[in-house]
Amino acid sequence: MQGDPNPLKYTDIHNDVVASIVETGSNYYVALATALALTLICFFFPWFYQLYYGIGAAGMNHPGVWGTYLASFIFWIGLSHSGTLLSCVLHITNSSWRKAMYRSAEAMTLFSLVVAAMMVMVHVGRPWFIHWTLPYPNQMEMWPNFRSPLLFDVMAITTYITGSTVFIYMGSIPDFAAVRDRTRGWRNTMYSLLSLGWRGTDREWHRLHWAYTFLAVLIIPLAVSVHSIVSWDFAMSIVPALHQTIFAPYFVVGAIYSGTAGIVTVMFVLRKFMDFGEYITELHFDNLGKLLLVLSLLWSYINIVEIFTGFYSGASGETEALRYRLFGFYAPLYWEMITFCAVLPLLCAFKRFRTSFVPMLYLSIAINIGMYTERFLIVATSLSRQYLPDAWGLYVPSAVEISILVGTLALFTTLFLLFVKIFPSVSMYEVKETMDTPKKIPAAASGGSLA
Amino acid sequence: MTHFVVGLFGDPESALSAAGSIQSADLGTPELMSPVPIEGVEEVLGEKRSVIKRFSLFGAIFGGVSGFLLAAITAVLYAHPVGGRPIITFPPYLIITYELTILFGIIFTVIGFFVSARLPNGLWTSFWKQDENRPYVPEAAVDKFAVSIGCGVDDVQRAETILRAAGAEAIRDGTEGVS
Repeated sequence: MQGDPNPLKYTDIHNDVVASIVETGSNYYVALATALALTLICFFFPWFYQLYYGIGAAGMNHPGVWGTYLASFIFWIGLSHSGTLLSCVLHITNSSWRKAMYRSAEAMTLFSLVVAAMMVMVHVGRPWFIHWTLPYPNQMEMWPNFRSPLLFDVMAITTYITGSTVFIYMGSIPDFAAVRDRTRGWRNTMYSLLSLGWRGTDREWHRLHWAYTFLAVLIIPLAVSVHSIVSWDFAMSIVPALHQTIFAPYFVVGAIYSGTAGIVTVMFVLRKFMDFGEYITELHFDNLGKLLLVLSLLWSYINIVEIFTGFYSGASGETEALRYRLFGFYAPLYWEMITFCAVLPLLCAFKRFRTSFVPMLYLSIAINIGMYTERFLIVATSLSRQYLPDAWGLYVPSAVEISILVGTLALFTTLFLLFVKIFPSVSMYEVKETMDTPKKIPAAASGGSLA
Repeated sequence: MTHFVVGLFGDPESALSAAGSIQSADLGTPELMSPVPIEGVEEVLGEKRSVIKRFSLFGAIFGGVSGFLLAAITAVLYAHPVGGRPIITFPPYLIITYELTILFGIIFTVIGFFVSARLPNGLWTSFWKQDENRPYVPEAAVDKFAVSIGCGVDDVQRAETILRAAGAEAIRDGTEGVS
């Protein structure tokens, strides 16, 4: 923004962001009502049906005891990865292009985590006993088994949700204060509470800078650990094709990859429908496109390594699992994944493609379809082909599972639509930092008292 | 009674210059309010130190110790021997330790921020009572830079003169409390 022939002023960003919150068109309500209705119809009704008739309503049965619920859990945890992680990394490296987009990216993290946690509730069948995973004194004198990767998950995801919530909130306090001064009624009350009395003093800015940096430093290793731990849910088992040391980096890279693609989708939507075209520019898509290219190459490399080491081991269980994944019942899904996640992203090598908004949107959606497929294949093909042929079997999701899968998208969309009307979607004060600083006015024009 | 004089500036350099002049005139340490962090504040008003890092460190240590103890003590309370392995097993418990180190590091960093930034303050409660005598100018959240100084009634005129000389676009009486 610095150096533009018609540079934006501080008041421009202020007015645009406040308007995005307080001025709501009918299209927004239609979108919110649709998303909410789909959430109820596709997510909550099938879930209640499953609660009423039992977990048998899902298509999971021996040997496919993990299905789309867990695939969705991994997918949404993965999607959560890039938002806060990317924001933290770019904050520490002082990358100015982060500033217009990080708030929405962090919101994506938070809501993805909420949806992922919901998938655990759906998967466990009896969510009213979910508190059994928590360590609390009880009359049965039982405690959770902290040696289990599932308990690692509980601790890691709880920490990540806490960290992501705190990080997005802390970064929003100055903007809540700015919106507070421009609103009336219930909104003013809400933003007064959220802004905690922020006045923008030198002391407050100094403390915010340090606290925010410390949080970023704490969250980066946390984010890496979360998806490593999710991978250990699988890698700590002795199932062929799952019991692999490369699973942790494989999951972390895959998570950042799908999360970055998710950011591209969200940025497109904000640019197109929230009138943030002046702030979310070609530069952002260009940089995200480069990141996608690097991540796709890393992801492809890990996939090649996974196949090579499995094949080279010569172990019958391992080679059978590989053969089944590449050429068995689920093979079309595997090759769809390779096309969407390893081949199509190579287009990002061209700047013209990276700076084209609509093609980047299509690519980001394709990548996330491919990444969901990856998670489904990890769960479905591995359990379908274990050591003994008499334990082989197919897993096909039921209508309830497919509906809940669609419902997760609606749930995420609903939460995000609510977010854009409560949080300033673009960080006002950080975008202002990237603008030209107001210059000193001539002395003759100054002076006067308004007191 | 302390009187607050607030000068509004259109640019950060003038505001910083005014803050420096106020401090040089022995009127006390002024407070700057701005829509963005101002570079060079510490050169003018002196280095700022915060206790946040101590809170973070304490939280991380507290979390790490708590995490390990949580895993170890609950394992002893509900012994679950597996394949002759020890009841307190370090490799898995280090993961719990790691996660709680970060969790409490985060929580205590936030507490440290609130304590050292003195938040929430009276403006937080302004929708039901205005009990805090803290000057605030809403324009400082948009595009203005404000310098506020608390001084005795005898020094008000001198402070206004200094602020005007530094190029204040307007002078306000901040004593009335929340603007």
